[in-house]
Amino acid sequence: MILGDLLGTPVYDSDGGRLGRVADARFVVDGAPQQLMAEARLLGLVVSPHSVSSFLGYERTGVNQPWPLAQMLEWRHRGSFLVMWEDIAMIGEKSVRLREGFTAYSPALDGAGQE
Amino acid sequence: MNRPFPSTLAPVPPIAGRTLDAQLHLMDRQALDNDGVPVTTVDDLELSGPALETEIPEGTPAPILTALLTGPVLGTRIFGGRPPSSRLIRIPWKDVADVGVVIKLGVSGDSLDAGWVERWIRDKIIARIPGGRHDPR
Repeated sequence: MILGDLLGTPVYDSDGGRLGRVADARFVVDGAPQQLMAEARLLGLVVSPHSVSSFLGYERTGVNQPWPLAQMLEWRHRGSFLVMWEDIAMIGEKSVRLREGFTAYSPALDGAGQE
Repeated sequence: MNRPFPSTLAPVPPIAGRTLDAQLHLMDRQALDNDGVPVTTVDDLELSGPALETEIPEGTPAPILTALLTGPVLGTRIFGGRPPSSRLIRIPWKDVADVGVVIKLGVSGDSLDAGWVERWIRDKIIARIPGGRHDPR
């Protein structure tokens, strides 16, 4: 599948409650080694309740300058969470459904852009 | 909409490999070949799965990133949608050497379909201009 089709798709819980939209997809480079980089597997999806997409990752990277812009973007992305691949029950053309009892993790990355 | 979760969420369990967020670290980045020559930009990404509209059984291995995609996306970026999958040019993930400010490829750009427009312009147009077949002196 093409990732662009998934970004911006509404996300629902197992009862059909709307949680937000897919803002980003997180990969982790820990798959089978290859000649150059190892395989990158899908770790999970970043879901944002209020915005369609992410902008510069302000809600994930802890960047707080310039102050007004950071405040505005943090507010816009408030409530964002990361849901792991294991908690995704179905990916459809127009919706993503999560499993019952899924865990919402913090989407934050450290200063080097890592978990 | 009420905030569905508390502001302090649990951190992700420790993972061994490097983390890459698609929008943050990959999409729209420039790709350079093994000589440092710009090849293209990353317009989209292709995954190995899952099948759409199909229940994902528990324990299914996570899909992997198979290719970086590029192609004629200017119009669809402005007006929405995307070109058919067959029109997109793929750079296999196995050709990617490093991901940083730019994406470095481990192969020569001349071997990739992604740079055909530039090669065509060089061979068919620039080469016919007097002096266009050698470096400027």
